[in-house]
Amino acid sequence: MNEALSQLFLGFQVALTPINIMWTTLGGVLGTIIGMLPGLGPATGVAVLLPLTFKMGPVGAMITMAGVYYGAMFGGSRASILLNTPGDGAAIATCFDGYPMTQKGRAEAALAMSAVASFIGGMIANVAMVFVAVPVAKFSLKFGPAEYTLLMLFALAATAAMSKEKILQGFIGMVFGLMISTVGLDGLTGVNRFTFNILELMGGIDFLIIIIGIYALGEVFKSFKSVHDPSYKMQTKFGKITFTKEDWKRSWPAILRSTPLGFFIGALPGAGGTMAALMAYNNEKSLSKHPEEFGKGAIEGLAAPEAANNASSVGALIPMMTLGIPGSGTTAVMLGALLMLGLQPGPLLFTKQPEVAWGMIASMFIGNVILLIINMPMASILVRVLSVPAKVLYPLILGLAFIGTYAITNSVVDFFILIAFGLIGIFLDKAKIPTAPLILGGIVGSTMETSFRQALMLSDGNMRIFHGSPITKVLIGLTIFSIAWPFIEGAIKSAKRSRTA
Amino acid sequence: MNRITRILTATVLVAFLTAPAFAQAKGYPSRTIECYAPSGAGGGWDLTIRTVSKTLTDTGLVKVAMPVENKSGGGGAVFLTALQSMKKKDNVLTVYSPPLLFININGTTPFSYKNTTPLARLITDFGAFVVRKDSKYTSIAQVIEDLRKNPTSVKFGGNSAAGSMDHIQFLVVAKAAGLTGLKNIQFISFQDNAGAAQLLGGHIDMLSTGLGDVRGLVESGDLRVLASTAPTRPSFGIGKDVPTVREQGIPVDFLNWRGIFGPPEMPAYAVKFWRDTFARMVKTPEWQKSCEANGWVQNYADQPEFEQFLEAQNKLAREILTELGMAK
Repeated sequence: MNEALSQLFLGFQVALTPINIMWTTLGGVLGTIIGMLPGLGPATGVAVLLPLTFKMGPVGAMITMAGVYYGAMFGGSRASILLNTPGDGAAIATCFDGYPMTQKGRAEAALAMSAVASFIGGMIANVAMVFVAVPVAKFSLKFGPAEYTLLMLFALAATAAMSKEKILQGFIGMVFGLMISTVGLDGLTGVNRFTFNILELMGGIDFLIIIIGIYALGEVFKSFKSVHDPSYKMQTKFGKITFTKEDWKRSWPAILRSTPLGFFIGALPGAGGTMAALMAYNNEKSLSKHPEEFGKGAIEGLAAPEAANNASSVGALIPMMTLGIPGSGTTAVMLGALLMLGLQPGPLLFTKQPEVAWGMIASMFIGNVILLIINMPMASILVRVLSVPAKVLYPLILGLAFIGTYAITNSVVDFFILIAFGLIGIFLDKAKIPTAPLILGGIVGSTMETSFRQALMLSDGNMRIFHGSPITKVLIGLTIFSIAWPFIEGAIKSAKRSRTA
Repeated sequence: MNRITRILTATVLVAFLTAPAFAQAKGYPSRTIECYAPSGAGGGWDLTIRTVSKTLTDTGLVKVAMPVENKSGGGGAVFLTALQSMKKKDNVLTVYSPPLLFININGTTPFSYKNTTPLARLITDFGAFVVRKDSKYTSIAQVIEDLRKNPTSVKFGGNSAAGSMDHIQFLVVAKAAGLTGLKNIQFISFQDNAGAAQLLGGHIDMLSTGLGDVRGLVESGDLRVLASTAPTRPSFGIGKDVPTVREQGIPVDFLNWRGIFGPPEMPAYAVKFWRDTFARMVKTPEWQKSCEANGWVQNYADQPEFEQFLEAQNKLAREILTELGMAK
C-alpha cells in the first residue's frame, strides 16, 4: 500500500505540471462537450485526438484521452436530463428520472446531483484504481464464457423489476431488443444473419443509434403536435444549480452502492458503462422503500447511474493498464495511441513507464475536481435551453441526432435505421411497452448469445459448465432472487395490508 | 449575386472540374491524399496507415497533407465497396491484409483484391500460438498430436471471426502437419479482443493471434508462445526468441502481411509515384524506427512481386476455406 502511495506521489508530480493540468482540463472539457452531443461518445472523442497524440507525447496523450473518457460521463447526462436525449449509451438510465425531474421544474437539482454523483463515483473509483487494480484485474479474468452468460442473464432479469406493473409489455420489449441484437455477422460461424446483403448491417445495429432513434427522434415526433399548442409551457425562471438536504439524504446511499458496482462492471472486458448504469438503476429501484416514485423523478434514480457510469469509465482502464487488453471501444483506441507512441501496453507498463501510468491515474483525481468546478456554472447556462421555444429546439435536436448517428459509423444506412426507430418509439409509447428492457436486451443480447455458445463449445455441450464455478453459483442465486423479489415484496406488502385491515 | 462573384464562382468551378486532368505526373501530388483505414481507430490497419502517413509527411517524401479517415464495417468489406466508387482517382490510399482475401472467398463481398490497385507490401506480422505460462504444452507438435487423437481436445480460440485470420493461420499449420478433418477442430471466436483475457483466465487452452498483439504479456512472462508462423526468426522483438513452426518440423509459414492499395484503375502516373515513394520510404530511418517500435518486420515488395504474392496467398486461402466448407 505504501508503495502504491509513493508511486501515486510520483504520478502527482507528473500530473501537476502546468502543461499536464492544461491537458487534463482540455480533455475533460472536450469530453463533456462530446458527451453532451447525442451519438458522439468517448470512443469518438478519443479517436478525434489520435492525430494529435504524436505532438502530445505519451503522458499528455494518456492524460487527455482519460479526460475525454470521464468528461464524457459528466457531459452525457446533461442532454438526458434536459431533453430526454441521452448523449451516449451510458447516460440512458439518467433519462428515466432526470427528465421527469425537469418536467417537474427540478432541472437545477437534477443537474447539480448528476455532477456531484459523477464526481463522487469518479473519485472513489480512482482510489480503488490506486489500491485494488491488480486484484480486480485478476478477479475479472475468472469470468469465462459461462460466467458472462450468467452475468448477462442476471442483467436481463432486471426486466422483471423494471416493468413491475406491466410485466408482459416489459418482456415484449426485452425480446424485441434481443432480436435486434442477432443482426450481423456471427463470429462463431462466420455466417451473416438478417443482413439482407446490406454490408453495413454486418457489424450489427449499433445500439446507440436505436437509443437516439427512440429517445431523441421519438421525443420530437411525440411532441410534434404540441409545438403550436399555446398551453405548452416553457421554463422562464431558473434557480441556483443546487439540491436540497432531503435530496442528498436520499441519494448518498445510492451513490455509495452504485460506485463499486460500476467500477467492477467497467473492469470486465465487454461489459461497459451502459450496462453498469442500467444495473445500478435497477438495483436502487429494487432496494428503494418507495419504488413507485422511480420513473417519476426520484433523485436517487438519477444519482445511482451517474455514479456508476463514472466509476465504470475508471474501471475500464484496468484491463488496459494492467494487462494491455482493451476493455471497451474507448480503451481500444487508447491502446492504439500507446502503440503509435512506441510504448508497449501490458503488465510491465507500470514498472517500465511509471510516469505514464501513474501520471494518468493522478491526473484523474485532478480532472474530477476540475470538472466538478466547471460543470456547476456550465449547468446554469445549459439549463436555459429549456427556455428555447419548441419550434426552434426540436429542429436542433433532429439535426444533432443525424450528425451524431453519422459520426458513429459514417454510414448513410444508419439514417434509415434511426428514422425507423424514431417511429418505433412512438409505437412503443402508444402500446405502453417500456423502452428500458428493450435497450437492455439489445445491449446484453449478443454477448449473452455468443458467450452461451462459446461456453457449450468449451464444455463439449455439457450444461454443467453453467453451474460449475463459485461465480456461476452466485450469479444464478442473484438472478433467481432478482426475478422473485418483486413478487416476494408484493406478497409481504399485501400480507401487511391484510393484517392492518 | 453580382457579376464578379458569378465569374469567380464559374472560374472556381471550372478549376475544380478540370483539376484531375491537370494533375498529371508533373507536380503530382498537388492535392490532399485521402488515406482510409477500413476499420475503427486503434486497430492494426489504422495503426499501419497512420504510421505510413506520418512517416511520409515527416520525411518530406510527400509534401501534401495525408489525413486518415476510418471507414469500418464488414471486416473491411464496407470500405472495399466504397473504394469501387473511387475508381480512377489518383489521391486515395488504403491498407489491407489477409482478410482482404478471406472476405471475398467466404462470400462477404463480391469484390476481391483484383478490384484494387496493389501498390506495395510493406510489413508483416506473424501468427503466434500462445499458451499460459503453466500450460502442459511446450511445442506446437504436442498440440497437433492431441488434436490428431481427438479434434475437440484442445480448446483454441482467437479474436477474429471463424473463417478469418486467427482461425485460418492455425489451420494452415495443422494442414501442413498432415492433420485431416480440419472442419472438426473447433475454433472459439472472441469479440473485442477478449481472447487474451480468456486465455489468462484459463478458459481456453491456446490462443491463435498475432505475434505483435501479445508482446506485453509475453515479456511479462504471463504467456508463452509455442511457435510463430515466421519463415525464419525475426531479428528483433519477441519473435527472435520464439521457435518457428518450420523449426519444429512443420514445413509452412503464414504471413500477416500489410500492404498499401489504391482504387481500381488508379492512373499510371499516380501508381508510378507511389511505387517510387514507398521504395524510398522503407529505407528511411524514421520508418525503420516505427517498425521496430511496433514489432513489425519489414517485408517490402514492389507492385509486380506483391501481385504475384497475392495470387498465391489467395489460392492457399481458398483451399483451406473450401475444406472448411466456408468458401462461396
